[in-house]
Amino acid sequence: MDKLTVSRRVVLGAAAALTTPAVIRPARAAERCVVGTWGGDYARLLRENIDDPILKPQGVEVVQDIGDESPRFAKLNAQKMLPRGTMDIACFGAPNGFRAGQAGLTEKLDAAKAPNLRHIPDFLASESFVPHIYSAQVIAYNPQTVTDPPQSFGDLLDPKWKGKVGVVATAGFWLMMAAGIYASGNPDDFDKAKPLILKLNDNGLHLYPETDNLAPAFKSGEIEVGMIWRARTVMWQNAGFPVEGRYPKEGAILYVSGMSVPKNAPDKDAAWKYVNALLEPSAQRGFAEHMGYLPTVDDAPLTGKIAQQLAIPEPRPKLQQPNYAYTTKVQAEMQDWWDKNVQHA
Amino acid sequence: MPESEQRQAGTALVLLGPATLLMVVMLLGPLALLARFSLNRFDPTEIMVAALTPENYARFFTDPFYRDVLVTTVRVSVIVTIACLIFGLPMAWRLARSTSRLKSVWLTLIILPLFIGAVTRTSGWMILFARGGMLDIVGRLFGAGRVDVMFTENAVIAGIVSINLPFTILALQSVFEGIDPRLQEAAASMGATPARAFRRVIFPLALPGVLIAAVLCFILCMNAFATPVLLGGPRFHMMAPLIYWEFTNNNNWAFAAALAFILMATTLGLTGLANVVIPRRYRVGR
Repeated sequence: MDKLTVSRRVVLGAAAALTTPAVIRPARAAERCVVGTWGGDYARLLRENIDDPILKPQGVEVVQDIGDESPRFAKLNAQKMLPRGTMDIACFGAPNGFRAGQAGLTEKLDAAKAPNLRHIPDFLASESFVPHIYSAQVIAYNPQTVTDPPQSFGDLLDPKWKGKVGVVATAGFWLMMAAGIYASGNPDDFDKAKPLILKLNDNGLHLYPETDNLAPAFKSGEIEVGMIWRARTVMWQNAGFPVEGRYPKEGAILYVSGMSVPKNAPDKDAAWKYVNALLEPSAQRGFAEHMGYLPTVDDAPLTGKIAQQLAIPEPRPKLQQPNYAYTTKVQAEMQDWWDKNVQHA
Repeated sequence: MPESEQRQAGTALVLLGPATLLMVVMLLGPLALLARFSLNRFDPTEIMVAALTPENYARFFTDPFYRDVLVTTVRVSVIVTIACLIFGLPMAWRLARSTSRLKSVWLTLIILPLFIGAVTRTSGWMILFARGGMLDIVGRLFGAGRVDVMFTENAVIAGIVSINLPFTILALQSVFEGIDPRLQEAAASMGATPARAFRRVIFPLALPGVLIAAVLCFILCMNAFATPVLLGGPRFHMMAPLIYWEFTNNNNWAFAAALAFILMATTLGLTGLANVVIPRRYRVGR
C-alpha cells in the first residue's frame, strides 16, 4: 500500500513537473535570431519593418543586442574561436563589414539561402556583406540664403564661403575621400586630398561633434554650405530645417550600412531568413521613407514625395564605394592626420 | 592571539572580504587586462595582435599632439579645481555655520543638480552658449555683437565647474562642520578678528579636508567626458574623449589602453604631489 502511495506521488509529481514549464513559460517561436545592432531609430525601424511584419509570421523571434559598432566588431573577433557565437546577424558599416569578411569571421553570401540577394545591384554587391541601406555624400546648403550653391568640392574652397562651411568631425576620413574624388576622380588619392582639406580648413571650416549638430547650424546661419550624407538632408528637410542637398558634379562617395552572418551564428537558418527579410521591398521602402536612405535592391522602386527627394539627377553622377581593401589599411593613419592637422590646427 | 582578538579578526574578514573580493574582481582584474592590452600591437583587421611592446607609450610621449592633449587636460582640471574652491569655500563655510531652520533647504538646493545627469546639464549650457542661444541674444540686444562661447575652453571650464561644484561644497561643508566653533570664539577672545581667526585657526585645521575636496574635484575633471565633447567641440581635446575616440573610431584598443594608463598615472601622480606640497603638519593622519 505504502509502495503504491509513493509511486502515485511520483507519478503526480512528474506530471506536474512536465506540465508546469508549459504553463509558466511564454510561448516561444520555433526559431530565434539575435541581431547585433545600433539602438535608436535604426533598431525601431528594424522592428517595425522587418521583425514584426515579416519574420514574426514565419515563426522567427528576433532579439536585438543593442550596442555601438566597434564593440560589436570586437565581440565578433573575440568569439571567433567559439563554435557558437552570440549573434546571428551583426550590423556594420561597410568598412567593418568588409574587415569582418577579410578576417574570415563571416559567411559568404549565397542566393540559394536568401533569394533576395539576387536583387542587389553589382555596384553594391560584395562577398560576405549584405548592403541594407546606402546614401551618397552630397553638398548641403541653405536654400534660403544660398542662390548659387557650390557644384563641387572645389567650390567650397572659394573665399566667398569663408567661415560658412561646416562638416561633422567624425566624418573626416570620408571628407578626405570626397577631396580625392575632386582632385583625381579617385577616393583613395589621399596625397592629393590632403592639401585640399588643409585649404578648406584655412577657409574657416566649422567642425561639429555630431551629425545632428549641422542642422541647427544651418538654421542659425552659422554655416551656409557643407558636406553630408543625402539621407540626412532629407531627414532634416522633413523636420523643417532649411537644408538642400546636391550631388557634386565630380561624383560622390557612398556610405553603405548593412549586415553580416557570423560563421559561428547559433541559428544560421534564422539568420538567412533575416537577410532575405531585410531585402524585401516593403522593408527597404520603410527605411527609405523614414531615414532617407536608398534601397539596396532593384525591385523596390520608390514613389511619391520620397522618390522625388531621393531622386539621383541625370546625367547620373559617378557614385563610388571606397576601395575597402585599401581604406581598411590606411584609415587609422589618415584619421591621425585629420586629428592633428585639421581638428588640432 | 587572544580569543577576543581572533573573533575581531574574523569579523573584520567577514565584513571586508566581500568588498575586497569585489574590488579585485571588478577593478583590479580589468585593470590588469587593460595593462596587458596596452603592450599589444594595433592591427587594422584583427584590432590587436599579442605583443610585448612599449610602442604605444612611446607614441604618446614622442608626439607633441598627445602631450598637448594631456597638458590641456591638466590645465583645465587645475583651473576648475581652483574655481570650485574659490566658489565653494565661502558657501560651504556659511552652510556649516548656519543655524537657520532653512539649512536643510539650502543643502537640498546644492544637492539638487546632482539629480540631473551631466549630459542634460551640459545640454542646458549648450542652449546658453550656442549661436542664437541666450548669451548671444542678450549680447546682441545690448549691442555687444555676437557672443560665441560655444566650442571654447572657457565653455568647458564653466560646464565642468557647474558639475563639480556641488561635490566640492558638500565635501568642504562636512570638513567645516567637524571644526569646533568654540575654537573660533577662543581666537576672538584673544583679540583675533574673524578673518584672522579663519586664516590662522580654522583654515589650517580644515586644510586636510580642503585637500580631499580639491583632489575629488581634480580627479572628476581629469576624467570628464561629456562636457569636453559637447561644449569643447571637435577642435578641443581632453584625454577621456581621446581614449574613447581611439577605442571606438580607430579600433585601436592597444593605444587607447595605453592612454588610459597614462591618464590614470598622471592623475595619481598629481594627486600624490598635492599631498606632498601641503606642509606635513596639516596633512591627514599626521
